[in-house]
Amino acid sequence: MVRHVKALIVGSGPAGLTGAIAIAESVGSGEEVVIIDEGIEPGGQLSKQTHKFFGHEGFYASTRGFEIGNLLVKKVKSLGVEIIQQSTVTGIYEDVITVYDRVNNIVHEYLADYLLIASGATERFLTFKNNTLPGVYGAGAVQTLMNQYRVLPGESFLIVGAGNIGLIVAYQLVQAGAQVKAIVEASSRVGGYAVHANKVKRLGIPILLRHTILEAIGKDKVQGAVVAGVDERFKPIPGTEKEFVVDAICLAVGLQPNVELVAQTGAKLVYIPELGGYVPLRDENMKTTVHNVFVAGDLSGIEEATTAMIEGYIAGYNIAQELTGKSFEDKIEKMKRELEEFRRGPFSKKVRDGLRKMGIVFPEGGYREEQQTDRGPVGKLRAIIECPEAIPCNPCETSCPTGAINVGGNINGIPQIDYSKCIGCGVCVMKCPGLAIFMIQEKEEYSLVGVPYELLPVPTNGTKVKLLNFEGKEIANGEVDHVVLNNKGKTHIVFLRVPKGYEDVVRSFRLPEKAEEFICRCEEITKEDIERVIDMGITDYEELRRVLRIGMGPCGGKTCRSLTLQIISEKTGRPISEIQLGAYRPPTMPTPFEAVVKSALSENDEVSENIQGGIENE
Amino acid sequence: MRIKDHPILNVPTEKNYVTFYFEDQPVCGTADDTIASALIANGFDVFGFTEHNHPRGFFCAIGKCSACLVEVDGVPNVRACITPIREGMRVKMQRGRGKPKW
Ligand code: SF4
Ligand code: SF4
Ligand code: FES
Repeated sequence: MVRHVKALIVGSGPAGLTGAIAIAESVGSGEEVVIIDEGIEPGGQLSKQTHKFFGHEGFYASTRGFEIGNLLVKKVKSLGVEIIQQSTVTGIYEDVITVYDRVNNIVHEYLADYLLIASGATERFLTFKNNTLPGVYGAGAVQTLMNQYRVLPGESFLIVGAGNIGLIVAYQLVQAGAQVKAIVEASSRVGGYAVHANKVKRLGIPILLRHTILEAIGKDKVQGAVVAGVDERFKPIPGTEKEFVVDAICLAVGLQPNVELVAQTGAKLVYIPELGGYVPLRDENMKTTVHNVFVAGDLSGIEEATTAMIEGYIAGYNIAQELTGKSFEDKIEKMKRELEEFRRGPFSKKVRDGLRKMGIVFPEGGYREEQQTDRGPVGKLRAIIECPEAIPCNPCETSCPTGAINVGGNINGIPQIDYSKCIGCGVCVMKCPGLAIFMIQEKEEYSLVGVPYELLPVPTNGTKVKLLNFEGKEIANGEVDHVVLNNKGKTHIVFLRVPKGYEDVVRSFRLPEKAEEFICRCEEITKEDIERVIDMGITDYEELRRVLRIGMGPCGGKTCRSLTLQIISEKTGRPISEIQLGAYRPPTMPTPFEAVVKSALSENDEVSENIQGGIENE
Repeated sequence: MRIKDHPILNVPTEKNYVTFYFEDQPVCGTADDTIASALIANGFDVFGFTEHNHPRGFFCAIGKCSACLVEVDGVPNVRACITPIREGMRVKMQRGRGKPKW
């Protein structure tokens, strides 16, 4: 039996969901509005995004992707739209649309007045030796597995591609407890946002520019990867090969639109590389060359989730307009202005260039490009923003309770702080999706640096840590002063005590390794303990002994003295021969007091016996 | 490997376990698993072999690439990545294009 609906939506990702909301809200009900989706749960690729979204509040900025998915799905369902999962639109014929229902293993037939195709994109593949070996996975696939199913397909990863997806996946892998050995990127610059790249660099993950993968090593499963440098024409440079021992390789080399269905409707496709390859030709209302077929999201040009949502609304309001004969022009205009605002920045250049080829022109520019140089009043607890690029994002501005931050009108503008208004509350640090805001305060003896933190374990006050710079390099020792927990947003702030003068360079930290290097076995003193005390200015062996109790255990310093002297020598640059080696105090081995007493009294046998008895009786 | 602890996502501690068979060996998954996630969680990375005998695993995990085809209860060409597991399900590695039943 053929089921006839008003609007059939293909895909329950961000574009399909907002499209459904727009139609159902405008028509007045979700009746006869149906979403068909291949996945097991609705939400499309939102379900696997654990990072906070950029953009502005109207489009859920600073909310994590999977939470946005949940909100949209709830809204769609509350409007009465039916979402059918585990079903694939397999064909759009002249007379009918076929849908294969995997749950019941049956094909259903549909007719629809309007079609909104939001079928998304597929990950691109890459050619290199052994590229089909299990262990070579799409970056999105790894995200699906770890964030939706809580399963890691490896322990140590190599990532190919430093666009936003590659960078985000690297960060998320570390959050899930995996190790990322490196990100390789063939071009000479990181393609993704600098704030994403910085998050990854602070974790100590190297980004190798002008590098590519040559080969996956392994028989049944990846055991390693060979990478090499490339020249300007992306040709590998012989002699630059290096091997990484990894058990998984993630390909994050771009997406291509899923155009099969839209092509089957008879809509015209055009080849526009800037938009991801073949894309449906469409107008600014998201209408294709077939009068009742609309498109939205990655299918209509590879971009990102916020613009996909906006396109979904535009398509949805247009469909509602045609279904009802009423005008929703004001809503459509509002969404078009949003899109225009979002696409003004430098990262939208490709999309702008691509759309221009379709005759759709988006203006650029009009946002603030200057970075703030004022770092605020020394000594005051305050926020420092390190968000250097024009990206469409403003939660820093909207979250600040005192209105101290502004991005300067257009959402792409670079944020600046008015330090006369900043009260040091830290809200912006917790809200910023780019984890690009830090807190600093210069104190008398040391400085405080507050860093956003989204990893496990959350350290406790007083924990000794290695202080890292913005590239994840160890630069000093420090300790956790206190932690401001943010159990709702899950971006905590860890305040570190750093040496004075380091407040502008410390941007991350590493917790002490579990495997410690012990120097003094008796008192369990580690190399790190000794180094820390030396760093405090105590370089004399006797002093170290008093502070740490090193060498004061039962062995009397036999094992640790020379090692300690060596560490002092290494740290201070003084030869061992010039370091005071400290007193050798007796006894050289633990001697029972009884033995001492006995020896002292051995000449007076009478007393000795009494004492001996006394000791025994005790 | 299953993720035990996560800074953002909650990891349910109480799970409903489901047992299915992979190459006639019992495999334990959770009620939320797909065939692919359950196999990966149990350390099975090879889901089958191509016609030319190359090992295959998943690639896209969202039902697009067909890298993950397995045979389920005798039916070939089932996408492991978008098929939930069921108690007692018998999953076999697919070799080549899978033998049709007729
Ligand atoms: S620390 Fe608080 S007051 Fe200062 S800029 Fe951030 S949110 Fe505003
Ligand atoms: S600093 Fe502001 S504009 Fe930059 S990522 Fe953070 S919230 Fe967005
Ligand atoms: S992994 Fe691509 S279809 Fe299953």
